Amino acid sequence: MKLSSMNYLFRQGMKNIWTHRIMSLASFCILMVSLLLIGSAIIFVSNINVFIGSVENKNEVIIFLNDGLSADRIEQMGSKLKNMDNVSECFFYSRDAAFEDLKKDMGDYDDLFQYIGDESPLPDSYRIRVKNIGNMSSTLMSVNRLEGIYSVKAPNDFVNILTELRGFVSVIFAALMTALVIVCLVIISNTARASVDMRKREISIMKLVGATNSFIKIPFFAEGMTIGMLAGLTAAVVTCVGYTQLGSVITSDMTMWSAMGFSGLIPLKDIIVRIITGYVLTGALISAAGTVMSTAKYVRV
Amino acid sequence: MVELKNVSVTYSNGVDALDKVSLRINDGEFAFIVGESGAGKSTLIKLMLKEVSPNEGRVYVNGFNLNKLRLNKTHKLRRTIGFVFQDFKLINTMTVYENVAFVLRSIDAPKKYIRNRVPYVLALVGLKDKVKSYPNELSGGEQQRVALARALVNDPKLIIADEPTGNLDPKTSWEIIELLQDINKCGTTVIMVTHEHEFVKHFGGRIVTIKEGRIAFDDYI
Repeated sequence: MKLSSMNYLFRQGMKNIWTHRIMSLASFCILMVSLLLIGSAIIFVSNINVFIGSVENKNEVIIFLNDGLSADRIEQMGSKLKNMDNVSECFFYSRDAAFEDLKKDMGDYDDLFQYIGDESPLPDSYRIRVKNIGNMSSTLMSVNRLEGIYSVKAPNDFVNILTELRGFVSVIFAALMTALVIVCLVIISNTARASVDMRKREISIMKLVGATNSFIKIPFFAEGMTIGMLAGLTAAVVTCVGYTQLGSVITSDMTMWSAMGFSGLIPLKDIIVRIITGYVLTGALISAAGTVMSTAKYVRV
Repeated sequence: MVELKNVSVTYSNGVDALDKVSLRINDGEFAFIVGESGAGKSTLIKLMLKEVSPNEGRVYVNGFNLNKLRLNKTHKLRRTIGFVFQDFKLINTMTVYENVAFVLRSIDAPKKYIRNRVPYVLALVGLKDKVKSYPNELSGGEQQRVALARALVNDPKLIIADEPTGNLDPKTSWEIIELLQDINKCGTTVIMVTHEHEFVKHFGGRIVTIKEGRIAFDDYI
């Protein structure tokens, strides 16, 4: 096909948007609402995951060491802990530092510390954080196999709650997304079919005068893609504005959220490119594919 | 050339539309196909355009063996045929010019050729001043002239006119048939389906009468 023909067909597609403006507007609105629903669900779950992740990062496993271990031995244990797959952070907390901190925390009990003396009664310890809280139990098993450990203190209840919460969110999200995507695809394909159905006479005439299937489909493709891109772009703008508004409402009273360990929404600048490209590409793809597929049965004449 | 050899068509609802029909229309002929409603005239036209396929027999149109022509290659056959229908079959969202130019655009004709050819053909059918009009702004006769211009623009070997005067007043019908005859004089084969016997009697030529799916009469008058 010549470039001038392609140019003509794309121009026809653009013209058709205006010629069939009522159906174009219906497709645009349905697509935009569908994209908004799916996009908002994804952004909501991303924030929930980041929230769970931030809470996970605050967890700490404390590994108390036996008394009397040499400095070399303590260092060796440290490098073994750091080399474990699931360990993200590991730092040494000496018995003296722990004792000093305890004294600071219990400043009102000076008498008690005078009685204990200057020698720290606390053990040396390592504190680690894990990358994936779901693998906490296997990490703890590896830690317990190390020699020279007095005891390990891990937030098991907390870990269980978070693991269950993450699983719950994943299941709910998958179900919600499946339902949303199915509903949206059905509505979008019905709208595309209705839009094409109105033009079946036009398509049959084009076939009769000898137009190829692709010559008939390209304007529909251009039309569907443009409507999809515009719907995606509008949905992106609505999402960004709504997200900014929601962010300012949340940050206006952070006390409650901070108490829950929530540091705020994912910054818009971190996700804006993904929001726009995701919406525009998905909108263009679904709309163009839906429209072109709807023409299939009419070009078979 | 159009040739049907022992062609039978039975629709999925069990209706026998054509029964062992054999017919040959040579290049350059003007043939009237007449018959009552439901006799099988439209099925004959649909066979020639490969809108339906025969259950039995062979169909050849302009060198194409329609029994072997795949559905996604029908455009090659249809580009050799111009058609005119009772309901005009114009695209209402396109201007007169665009309706006619569409045929040339679909075969990738050069822009310059389209710019020259379309006004020329519209002038031939007397619609030089209506290029920018939309079909619904024209009278029935004018719409049929646009359809004729569209059928002619690609210089086809064969023109099929299915009841082209069905929606027109007698004077306009007369003009349309005269135009078709003029086209035929230039060497284009014309097959015109009609049930208006008066025209057939007046213009004469080859008459093919179809009755209950069979050819009842085929001769020159």
